[in-house]
Amino acid sequence: MARIIGGIGTSHVPTIGVAYDKGRQEDPVWAPLFEGYKPVAKWLAEKQPDVLLFFYNDHATTLFFDLYPTFALGVGERFPIADEGAGLRGLPDIRGDVDFQAHIGEALVNEEFDLAFFQNKPIDHGIASPLPLLWPHEPDWPGTVVPIAINVLQYPLPTARRCYRLGQAVRRAVESYPEDLKVVVVGTGGLSHQIHGERTGFNNTEWDLDFLETLRDDPERLTQLTHADYVRLGGAESVEQIMWLAMRGALGASLEEMHRNYYLMTTTAMTVVTYEERETAAAAQQREQEAA
Amino acid sequence: MFTQNPQTVGMPEGTYVFDLRTCNRRLAFNRFFWNMIRPEARQAFWDDEEAAMRAAGLDEEEMALVRARDWLGIVQAGVNFFVLEKWARVVRKTNLEVYAIMRGESFEEFMQTRAVPHAR
Repeated sequence: MARIIGGIGTSHVPTIGVAYDKGRQEDPVWAPLFEGYKPVAKWLAEKQPDVLLFFYNDHATTLFFDLYPTFALGVGERFPIADEGAGLRGLPDIRGDVDFQAHIGEALVNEEFDLAFFQNKPIDHGIASPLPLLWPHEPDWPGTVVPIAINVLQYPLPTARRCYRLGQAVRRAVESYPEDLKVVVVGTGGLSHQIHGERTGFNNTEWDLDFLETLRDDPERLTQLTHADYVRLGGAESVEQIMWLAMRGALGASLEEMHRNYYLMTTTAMTVVTYEERETAAAAQQREQEAA
Repeated sequence: MFTQNPQTVGMPEGTYVFDLRTCNRRLAFNRFFWNMIRPEARQAFWDDEEAAMRAAGLDEEEMALVRARDWLGIVQAGVNFFVLEKWARVVRKTNLEVYAIMRGESFEEFMQTRAVPHAR
């Protein structure tokens, strides 16, 4: 049986990708960001998940507004990383496991989440910004990706509650797959930022930290907020945080936050958090004690 | 009957909701910027801006906004920022520079309001 072994919430700021490609990991301005991802990469290297299942958003790159799906799942053995106006990035294509992706899609539709499906499409910074900070890519990525795109661009958006329930359905879908795959669920975007209009540059660290506490311990409360609430509290583009709720919905009730890094450098509160289910964390600790 | 989407009630000022009506009104304008993910569209823009805009079917108001590099005006007209930032790469503007312009500040003024003012 496939199972979820943890979760990650991460920003997907495109300039993280630019800084990565330019080798600015040691640059004092960028080091607090890159250093903050090292424990996450180490955790993944230790846990060795077969699959990263992403709840992310496309930024009108793969998909255009002439047909913009609310939820869309990508199926394919390979997804190129998209050219978003500045050329290609020199990273290997993202890998996929078609049988597993198709199973997740089938299970979700049979639970009445009527997704759209895309094939043979490039994927943009919604996944590609954080991915090389999570996984090595030389000579190739160590595992496969399930991309689930959520519309956070064109209103009406799916509600926070719908995203949370999508996550819950994803957990059941994962656990109904017969192969013993280890899956980490990832929600991308946020935290506070607004990057359009006169309100550009809005941040709210107090709310960001409150969001992280509530997401971990009482996520149902966050499903009651409207999109306008998220926009008011965290800036227009922080509405992406409903994708963290999808990730949270796929995890158990009681979570251990294994790592957190929060770095507000210019306009986006760049954040990464890893979670394990509390039972799992306790079991891991016990194993370590037994081994010692 | 027209019904206001409850999702967008109470949006703060200086925020522009991109919804189905906006998209319907400005689909060609959004597509013009979206096309910049293709190298041939970028080249066509560099070769002849006016011809590229005409080929994309922009109206006079839209063409004037592009000529003026009026970033805030383009957003206010109904372009989603995420297609606009593709064009920012084409005209060699960083996102931080575009943010400053949308706030009506010089780049240096804007960066002084940031947590790490010397970040680039």
